[in-house]
Amino acid sequence: MPRIRASLMAPLSAIALLAAACGTSSADAAGDSNANCTPAESPIVTVTAYSNVYDTYGKLISTFQSDWKEQHNDQQVQFSTSFGGSTTQAQNVVSGFPADIAALSLTPDVDLIKDAGLITHDYTQDPEGSFVASSAVVFDVRPGNPLNIQNWGDLAKPGVEILTPDPASSGGARWNIVAAYGAAMRGEVPGYAANDPADAERLLTDIFKNVTVMDKSANDSIKNFQAGNGDVAITYEYAVLAAQAQGLPDEMVIPPSTVAIQTPTVVIDKNAQAHCVQDVAAAFVDFLHTDAAKEIFTDVGYERSTDLKAAQSGEKGTFEPIDDLFTTDDLGGWDQLDKTVFGPEGAFTKALAAAQG
Amino acid sequence: MSTQTLERPAVPSPANPGTGPRRSVVLRETLARWGLRGTAILYLGLLIALPTIAVITKGFSDGLQSLKDALQAPGAREAILLTLALAGTCAIVNVIFGSLIAYVLVRYEFPGRSLLSTVVDIPFAIPTLVTGVMLRALYGPNSPIGGFLEAHGIHVIFAQLGILLALLFVTLPLVVRTVQPVLLELDEAEEEAARVLGATRWYTFRRVVLPKLRAGIAGGGLLAFARAIGEFGAVVIVSGNIIGKTLTAPVLIFQLASQFQPNEAAAVATVLFAISFVLVLITERLIGGRRAAG
Amino acid sequence: MSAVTEPRTPRLSANARRRLTHGGFIALAVAYVGILVIAPLVGIAWAALSAGLSTIWETLRQPDVLHAFYLTGVITVITVIVTSVFGVIVALVIARDRFLGRALMSAFVDLPLAVSPVIVGLMAVVLFGLGGWFEPWFSAHGIQILFALPSMVLVTIFICIPFVIREVVPVLKEVGVTEEEAARTLGASSLQTFFRVTLKNIRWGLLYGIALTTARSIGEIGAVLIVSGSITGQTETSTLYILRAFDQNQDQQGYIVAITLALVSIALLIAIEVFKNRQERLRRP
Repeated sequence: MPRIRASLMAPLSAIALLAAACGTSSADAAGDSNANCTPAESPIVTVTAYSNVYDTYGKLISTFQSDWKEQHNDQQVQFSTSFGGSTTQAQNVVSGFPADIAALSLTPDVDLIKDAGLITHDYTQDPEGSFVASSAVVFDVRPGNPLNIQNWGDLAKPGVEILTPDPASSGGARWNIVAAYGAAMRGEVPGYAANDPADAERLLTDIFKNVTVMDKSANDSIKNFQAGNGDVAITYEYAVLAAQAQGLPDEMVIPPSTVAIQTPTVVIDKNAQAHCVQDVAAAFVDFLHTDAAKEIFTDVGYERSTDLKAAQSGEKGTFEPIDDLFTTDDLGGWDQLDKTVFGPEGAFTKALAAAQG
Repeated sequence: MSTQTLERPAVPSPANPGTGPRRSVVLRETLARWGLRGTAILYLGLLIALPTIAVITKGFSDGLQSLKDALQAPGAREAILLTLALAGTCAIVNVIFGSLIAYVLVRYEFPGRSLLSTVVDIPFAIPTLVTGVMLRALYGPNSPIGGFLEAHGIHVIFAQLGILLALLFVTLPLVVRTVQPVLLELDEAEEEAARVLGATRWYTFRRVVLPKLRAGIAGGGLLAFARAIGEFGAVVIVSGNIIGKTLTAPVLIFQLASQFQPNEAAAVATVLFAISFVLVLITERLIGGRRAAG
Repeated sequence: MSAVTEPRTPRLSANARRRLTHGGFIALAVAYVGILVIAPLVGIAWAALSAGLSTIWETLRQPDVLHAFYLTGVITVITVIVTSVFGVIVALVIARDRFLGRALMSAFVDLPLAVSPVIVGLMAVVLFGLGGWFEPWFSAHGIQILFALPSMVLVTIFICIPFVIREVVPVLKEVGVTEEEAARTLGASSLQTFFRVTLKNIRWGLLYGIALTTARSIGEIGAVLIVSGSITGQTETSTLYILRAFDQNQDQQGYIVAITLALVSIALLIAIEVFKNRQERLRRP
């Protein structure tokens, strides 16, 4: 009966299409994490990273790939990467982004993933506490430093236009805020009393009154600055060094007191197991702590040593020495900072409201 | 020309004598009709109605208060106002030049006329991101033209002028192809008759031509406006995202959505979406289902 | 109404004046289109070609770039198939069927045209993201929608739904049902009627709609940017590649891939013009 067949064909094909789509999806899906998995011939490892380390990780990945090929019978390991604001990348992973490794800007973002149950080991016990490199918060200024910006207090001067990213999405943004807060609290900023949270908050208010745009990632922020916006960008030291290496006119000013940016890279256990790449992922993260990798970090990435003393001294001339390089531990750790700076009554929260009000 | 429904049952003929009482033939036709209708409803319902309702619900999930709060988020009000202002400027400029181009295409014969017509359609085909990239290549600081303009204080990239150029580019064919059919339909004979009866050219234009043109021009302008408020791809490359100066609503929604603040994003999105949807509906009313000729 | 008499001056000057005005209009129109549309095309051609032919060749051979082209192709093909098949069905219903809610259906078809692509991405996040309406079901079954191909295809389909429908409906309305009824009286089945008569009548409109869908699908950026996660080599389309290239100081590669897309689009444009002309010729004999 051709007529009935014809009329049913349309809805049936609709259902068939839907089923086919679902079928293909499950084939690509993460798979049952409880099943015994057979590693693929050419495993694919997905890395989610923060925004401005694409050069560094590009080099690290290709070095690791050739090493692995030599040591594992010519096996080709593939890497898929995604770069963006650190917090956004972490939130994506929690929302289902299938990353096997998280190379993030700060540990609280790693905690986002851990709290979602995707990281099952205590990553703080990883080698070097999971930190693979260290940098510092610096100022990126125009050639000749026309506004003579030397310290955090200079950012508070009226009329200075500042670029710093949005802490809701960018890890670098939070490092910048912690650096200003910490410097004030340690009494290294003239005009702001030491150990005085109210004064630290005042510094943040004055700075954020001058912030003209908060981009969604550190990379966006410095690119915006390089495009001609603003007088100064607060950013990672290595981002400025990388720009200079490319011949851009960025000039760097290191404030006397600043925070050591310690960036963690961690295997996301649940995803790595589900994709059957936990061996390769673990091997890659281990590789990041080797001397060879550290050389790449310094060469391509210009990242200071994870050893704080060496980092502060400038490592025999590779970097400029910093008068006072402190860590988040010196300020009580991220847990403390999440409350005192970023919490509902935190210094930054109140400062931003005051600056925009 | 009338549109007939599928209700008319097939007429039994020698080749198809009918396989039973009329009822079964009607039944099969009804089944066919509902089969098609059902598919259409399912397709549109699942793919369009459902997601739209989801976003609007999300935008109002905490009631109207959340909508107000979201619109008070830093940059939201500025972004919406900037978007409306830029889109409005774009619509006005393109209505003027687009109507001119449509007029030139319809009324004049000249060498290169069909080439001009094809070039007008280019923005329909080019990806919006590529539009932004092209503008950046032409007016960016590294290009001769861009360098020249910058030296004279004219900023295109990362400034409002760049956004305006991008919007003008993508909406040009919308205006031209909306005004063209209206111009085509205008009967020159009416104009001639008015002139023969003694009307001045200006009077003819005002009383005979303009009323008919108005609907087409208004429709084109509204379409351009609606399209411009939603433009993302071209803007994101040229704009620089400076709150109050170059951050537009679609880019703001994108930032909020990618920061997983769906409520705030949905609220701004709902406002934008309501404006556009109303505009598109009005435009449909004004110009109906006319299609432009080549 | 005032009576006007043409002044008895030599016709040449009145004509010459008119021709000057007309010439002026044409020149103005051409200048506007030249500055607005042609100049940027020239700009990108210059930027891409100044990279040198070897860089161009190298870039187009990169695995990331090839995969991006491939992904764009896959998404486009699926989108074209779905929106054509179901688009024709919906067009038949809108043009031929008379039922309550037909106007509403027509409005829904137009809806994607009014929605900014970022809002479409947001829709996908609301439906399939953490805490979304459908997320629990898909998570439980291990199906990846966001940050994977399915969400990218879905948002592109949403955006492209109107094109085929809006081109086919007017054709169906104009052509009418007389040919189909004639076929039916001669004994053809519904399916035969559809393929031999209806489809033949709508073919140019359908092809025009398909060309528009293809162009739009290739160029999609806003929605896929939100739902894809931009995983290089996995969920990065051609447009996403371009965006990332500019983000990561690879401007030249960005220009090269962009001009490739532009050339493909212009080729499509020529196809669009051909189909449009054929369609117009059929509609206005």
